[in-house]
Amino acid sequence: MSTTTTITYDDTSVRRFMSASIIWGLVGMLVGVIIATQLSWWQMNGKFIEAISFGAFKGDGISFLTFGRLRPLHTNAVIFAFVGNMVFAGIYYSTQRLCKVRMASDFLSNLHFWGWQLIIVAAAITLPAGLTRGKEYAELIWPINIAVTVIWVVFAINFFWTLAKRNEPSLYVALWFYIATIVTVAMLYIVNHLSLPTSLTHSYPIFGGLQDGLVQWWYGHNAVAFFLTTPVLGIMYYFLPKAANKPVYSYRLSIVHFWSLVFIYIWAGPHHLLNTDLPRWLQNLGMLFSLMLWAPSWGGMLNGLLTLRGAWAQLRTDPVIKFFVAGITFYGMATFEGPLLSIRAVNALSHYTDWTIGHVHAGALGWNGFMAAGLFYWLAPRLWKTKLWSQSLANMHFWIGLVGILLYVVAMWSAGIMQGLMLGEANPGGATLKYKFVETLESIHIFYFLRSVGGFFYLIGFGLCAFNIWKTARSGVATNDTAEVVVLERTRKDRAGLGETLISDPIAHIVLGIAFTILWFFLPPHADKAALIVAIALGYKGVMAFRKSGGGWSRWHDSLLENYIPFTILVFIAVAVGGASQIIPSLVVNRDKNIEGRLQELYTPLELAGRDLYVAEGCYNCHSQMIRTLVPDVMRYGRAGKLDDYSHLGESIYDHPYQWGSKRTGPDLAREGGELVTGAKYMRSGKRGNDWHFNHFLNPRQTSPGSNMPAYPWLFEDKADLKALPGKIAAQVRIGVPWPALNQHEILDMAQVQALEIADSLIAAKVYLPDKPELQGLALRDQLAASKFVALTAYLQKIGAYREITKDQPAEPSMLNPDSHRRPEKVPAATTQAH
Amino acid sequence: MTRTPNTESTTTIAMSDSSTSGPKLGEYAREKGEVVLRPHEFDGIQEYDQKLPNWWLFTFYGAVVFTVIYWTVYYHTNLLKTDHQIVQEAISIVEKARQEDLVKALASIDDSKLVSVWAADPSIVAAGQATYSTNCTACHGADLSATMEVAGKKAPLPGLPLNDHQWKYGGKPMDLFKLINAGTPPDSPGHNGAKMQAWGQTLSPKQIAELTAYIIAKVPDDFKAYAAGTTN
Repeated sequence: MSTTTTITYDDTSVRRFMSASIIWGLVGMLVGVIIATQLSWWQMNGKFIEAISFGAFKGDGISFLTFGRLRPLHTNAVIFAFVGNMVFAGIYYSTQRLCKVRMASDFLSNLHFWGWQLIIVAAAITLPAGLTRGKEYAELIWPINIAVTVIWVVFAINFFWTLAKRNEPSLYVALWFYIATIVTVAMLYIVNHLSLPTSLTHSYPIFGGLQDGLVQWWYGHNAVAFFLTTPVLGIMYYFLPKAANKPVYSYRLSIVHFWSLVFIYIWAGPHHLLNTDLPRWLQNLGMLFSLMLWAPSWGGMLNGLLTLRGAWAQLRTDPVIKFFVAGITFYGMATFEGPLLSIRAVNALSHYTDWTIGHVHAGALGWNGFMAAGLFYWLAPRLWKTKLWSQSLANMHFWIGLVGILLYVVAMWSAGIMQGLMLGEANPGGATLKYKFVETLESIHIFYFLRSVGGFFYLIGFGLCAFNIWKTARSGVATNDTAEVVVLERTRKDRAGLGETLISDPIAHIVLGIAFTILWFFLPPHADKAALIVAIALGYKGVMAFRKSGGGWSRWHDSLLENYIPFTILVFIAVAVGGASQIIPSLVVNRDKNIEGRLQELYTPLELAGRDLYVAEGCYNCHSQMIRTLVPDVMRYGRAGKLDDYSHLGESIYDHPYQWGSKRTGPDLAREGGELVTGAKYMRSGKRGNDWHFNHFLNPRQTSPGSNMPAYPWLFEDKADLKALPGKIAAQVRIGVPWPALNQHEILDMAQVQALEIADSLIAAKVYLPDKPELQGLALRDQLAASKFVALTAYLQKIGAYREITKDQPAEPSMLNPDSHRRPEKVPAATTQAH
Repeated sequence: MTRTPNTESTTTIAMSDSSTSGPKLGEYAREKGEVVLRPHEFDGIQEYDQKLPNWWLFTFYGAVVFTVIYWTVYYHTNLLKTDHQIVQEAISIVEKARQEDLVKALASIDDSKLVSVWAADPSIVAAGQATYSTNCTACHGADLSATMEVAGKKAPLPGLPLNDHQWKYGGKPMDLFKLINAGTPPDSPGHNGAKMQAWGQTLSPKQIAELTAYIIAKVPDDFKAYAAGTTN
């Protein structure tokens, strides 16, 4: 017969993760407020120190305080440190209770906690130092990537081991979401961080150009999905019914929205690259799956809000419910806005503007931040066996936070829509655009200010939360709960064989249905229609089988929930399908076949060094290198007389990492570079001369009045790291960049010659450094030639350089390229006069 | 949405369930057509089994149907143009408008008109000055000297000075207009390797003519010869 036993839950880990989340949350949000003010006042990039140190410090900027370096710190801190630790706290607390067992291994719990904090500290040091991979939310350098992977595996082992030891036959819905989180984040993280190291702190991603962009946003989008959404939904499913003391609204809604969410989410990544040169079939998938994602996302919101039916009175009295309700409402808002922004026509306006920033902050501040606050206020009294220190302070936090979010989001909507409209506005007659880029930036200045205020309010609110939790903890005693549990007999649990669970009617119908749907995307004309018909027939047959089974499918799912291994395998398959369908064809097809008539000119060694500096300084945080296939983009950034001067795939094919960007706080740079200067061996000159860049990096407002770009005085002092070039070039060759055979001396000679060409052109233009006017002639030339500035300028003068390749024929019809199946159309007369 | 669970009745059900002999909770409710409260509880959390709201289901189905329709229309008809077609067609219209504007402008101005009419009109010169200060000062300086004051010293700017009476690419008023419009000629090595962009892409011919008038007005001596009535 069954035996009972007393277990003690490991609440120490929960307390630790929660405290860490609060501390890192404060840090991450503070950095957020600082970088928000940097967009309003360029002096916040370091010059302000001059004022607060009463002149003891002198300078126009400090490298490690610039927006380009701090913005990755902000995003990484709030995502991985704040939400990460919050999610771990929630998972550790609820998993033990839902499994009626203590976490499997205290050693692993400790290792997980301390390992994760160490990673965060390492990130906080390396990111401001300019050590970065240059891919958003994936900036951390490779040794830290390995540490993250190891610690994630530690967490996974600890979690699944706990599931294996559980004294509860079935898995509650919260656990499904935790499982999806662990499995999917591991998959995304590993693939997007595949890189080849060139030194202890630097590496090149193995993917380049389009492929890197696609993998990056498959990761980036689903980091939002599986790091910021699914685990927090799991937390909602446990803590909301607990706090409201109500049953969850609908079990079957849980099932339907869980599976549709994890399956569909993965496909939506390309919506971050809409209207770029990403192949149209990927854009179509990104848009359509985003629209299909709307309902599954709202399923979670419904199950949350409707659980509270009959409990609305608590909204007035209980801060926990208040935060949960507002958080879930923001989730609903953000997941409605997401599909909206994924419509290609809407995205044409919104992309690269602050609308996107407003959207993510509705999610981050509203959903993640408020769910975290609700969780903390619920947990703290229980973890320290006391009452919440102050209800009214928590209410104050709620209102000040809410006002902060609304200010923030409305300011960003206004800024984004206004700037988007201004950028597209043409002069009467339509031949020229009305506004210069910097004019659109100046017009949204007020919104940037309001955004900083909103963010500051939110930070204050969170500070109140931290104080309240701290006082609560001080007023109580840290206690680990104990519980009397019935030890589960091991007869049935997890014993259903894999085959028995997976080979079943529901799986057969769903897997075949999805397989034929995917064939419909990829098969050539007519065959694809057949596949669609089969898929629809399978869907119909599935519905019939479901009806006829008399609850058989439900019983099957119930039995699946008692077998965590088959469940996990199914989750993995569901999340793997989308990425595989998009990425594998792109890896196979798009490398050399699909360059659209333009092939990128290889960088010279000095240009490569400059490019690495561009990445290290985080220029991609504000500058795109992607002229979208949109009229205002081509008018603004394309060259005169060219009809097709949007970015072509081949132009960035050798870029590791790709630098298409995701936000334009400054203008696009895709056509910044230009031709070789007459008589020069390597030196090029693009839209602007070397001396323009000289003035611009010293004082962006001199060349572009109204600019909010930081000054970069250290670029003129610091030496570019040319010695690393032979190793970097060797690594580039290994990941497929066709560098010519060069030995170490040739590489350094080339770099030296080009650096001197640029330095000489600057000397000829009679430049001098404002803080060292006495430095002239050869001495100045030598300092400049060795400087980071010259390397970076060499790169800027090269961006976008390409060779025309004989017009490629319309792509051969190919299984892996649905676009090639489109009925061939007449070539418009326009293209013939394009060049 | 219509089936609001009655809290009291569910409590009763839950209690009746605790007696082991009673009917299965879910089955009982299903037979009665009531909202099902699932029998199992997880750490005290119970779950209803409400039907999925219809409007929610139709949102989902609607998006799926839209996907099928959109994909089919895009790949099996030519009703939707490709992005490349759309942009190229639109830009060719823009280019045409630009050419027409230029042809019209060139027909309406010449050397003497720029000097005697355009540069003599203060409102035109003021408009030209406004265009100059937003677009040109970064390289040619606010005072046309292609320098700026930095730390008490005259620092050079990237452009050529416009007040030194040297006109590298031709000194006629229309040479200025054409140079601004088309940028540094492709066969020129540029100034220190740098070339001026083709402003005709950003500015309208009228703005360029105003700009030319502004420059003429700032260094009138260089262009006196072209004024109406003088022979040249």
